[in-house]
Amino acid sequence: MPSRIAGRWAAGLTAFLLIGSADVLAEKRAEPCAKCHGKDGISVKEGVPSLAGQPKVFLENYLVLTREGLRGSDEMRTLLRGMRDPDIVALANHYSRLAPRSLPGLLDKALYERGRRIAVTHHCGTCHVKDFSGQQQMPRLAGQREDFLAEAMLAYRQNRRPGGDTVMAASLHGIPESDLKALAHYLSRLK
Amino acid sequence: MKKNAFALAAAGTLAFAVQCALAQDKPKPPPAWHQGKPPAMADSKLAPLAGKMTETPASEIPIDKIKLPPGFTAEIWASGLPGGRAMALSDSGKKVWVGTRIIGRVYEISDEGGKRSVRVLVDKLTQPAGVAFKNGSLYVFAIDKVLRFDGIEGNPNAAPVDMTKAFDLPPEQHHNWKYVRFGPDGKLYVPFGAPCNICVPPTNEYAQIRRYNADGSGKEVIATGVRNTVGFDFHPKTGQLWFTDHGRDWMGNKTPDDELNRVDKPGNNYGFPYCHANGVVDPDVAKGRSKADACKGVTMPVLNMGAHAAVMGLEFYTGSMFPKEYQGAMFIARKGSWNREDKIGFDVVTVRASTDGKGAKMTPFMTGFLEDAKTAKFWGRPAYLAQMKDGSLLVSDEQLGAIYRVSYSAPAGGKKK
Repeated sequence: MPSRIAGRWAAGLTAFLLIGSADVLAEKRAEPCAKCHGKDGISVKEGVPSLAGQPKVFLENYLVLTREGLRGSDEMRTLLRGMRDPDIVALANHYSRLAPRSLPGLLDKALYERGRRIAVTHHCGTCHVKDFSGQQQMPRLAGQREDFLAEAMLAYRQNRRPGGDTVMAASLHGIPESDLKALAHYLSRLK
Repeated sequence: MKKNAFALAAAGTLAFAVQCALAQDKPKPPPAWHQGKPPAMADSKLAPLAGKMTETPASEIPIDKIKLPPGFTAEIWASGLPGGRAMALSDSGKKVWVGTRIIGRVYEISDEGGKRSVRVLVDKLTQPAGVAFKNGSLYVFAIDKVLRFDGIEGNPNAAPVDMTKAFDLPPEQHHNWKYVRFGPDGKLYVPFGAPCNICVPPTNEYAQIRRYNADGSGKEVIATGVRNTVGFDFHPKTGQLWFTDHGRDWMGNKTPDDELNRVDKPGNNYGFPYCHANGVVDPDVAKGRSKADACKGVTMPVLNMGAHAAVMGLEFYTGSMFPKEYQGAMFIARKGSWNREDKIGFDVVTVRASTDGKGAKMTPFMTGFLEDAKTAKFWGRPAYLAQMKDGSLLVSDEQLGAIYRVSYSAPAGGKKK
């Protein structure tokens, strides 16, 4: 009996150490990211998205597309060049487990309400989920940086954001820039 | 034609400015994937299923879960090709090129003495899904680019020739990733999908299949009203084109069916956007119209293939390895549905029909990828098929970036039929 308990203890300890060391490795890998995306995955730089609480598959896809040179800034492409798939999966895991939060900012009630209505009309919550927490390959939008959201949506609409599915470009087709700004404001103020 | 470059550039800028102004004044109707979603489905949580863009090691592929008829076996033939889908075989059969969508790569598999190696032939393309091989050249079709690699089998460093201009590709991207294939007439068959879930296409460049000479000349539209075909083959006896076509979304779990069609003469209309499947009138763009009106002049499918099943690759079997009953039968991959609650597809089926398309019947062939239809639990998504020289069948799994080889040997005690 004691040996079985000891065995369980050993197994538990090994599991703890494995998970622990994976976390440490992922944190180490994430160090260069923190300069812009924040140590806790909350953006600290204009135009840079928060990563905390993003769905794992979305993060994986985005990292792969950037590594492949299809997406992202020059800086991101340089950082990710040659990164192997297991490291990408570890990074995605790391950020998906951090707690999301919105950045402090003023609330424009009229703009917020306009954005909310546009989100309903365009069924954004079907894929991004009703509370906009995202799922699978579809990113979390709630609490994301307003400037990032506005630019990303405009880029989709103008076919400047290739590499992903064509669904977003088609979904935003014909929506005026002022409406996209309202959408960005609304989504950025969500918790 | 000999205008100077400046005048051309100026004219181009002016045309662009006018286009922008027009676009701002009067936006086109949105060709959005969710257009046509009825109020009753507003709260639906259905969404496209996530693909996987990282490598899956062969050891993590549950190949034993695949079910096949007696005598058939499946093995992992190649892996480590994230997003791999349509395949083109070289004449010798020693090279296989594999297209992808969002990861933007074309893979090259070299098969040498039972061992295979994989390299990325070209990357950074916008959904290079279409691959075809003819007379020593590999053709790669991305949404906005056509490349031709001459002599690629003997020269791994062959630089591509950019053929884009010759093929006259339209600007909208949605549903415009390609499946391409050479016909027995030596022409290259290329589809142009509708840039929306449901819409009257913005121009007459969409919802059709065209064929070209191999150099892009001689463009001819041979089928219209085709929403989104990403798989076809030519009948081994008649040479006629048979193609699969994806039906529209957001009409509920049971309708409209995906289609299997036959082109008995160039110029047929297959119904999109007014008439789907076997005569389903569209509730959005053909609202209030009768079937007789909305489906007038429409060529009906050979077979309904299941609502939202995502019918993909089609291959007439002409090999000698499989039993006689498979001779001339079609293998069709159904990648699997997202736009319905109870998932279907995630399989390869056989379809047998007479040469004129009569009496078509679908039978499951390769299953086991879908583990729970209600919770959408699946591990693989068969997408395309390719017949090898020895008569075995390659099946690509777009989800796990792998290719399986299906072969046959008569079960012990039985004899080959």
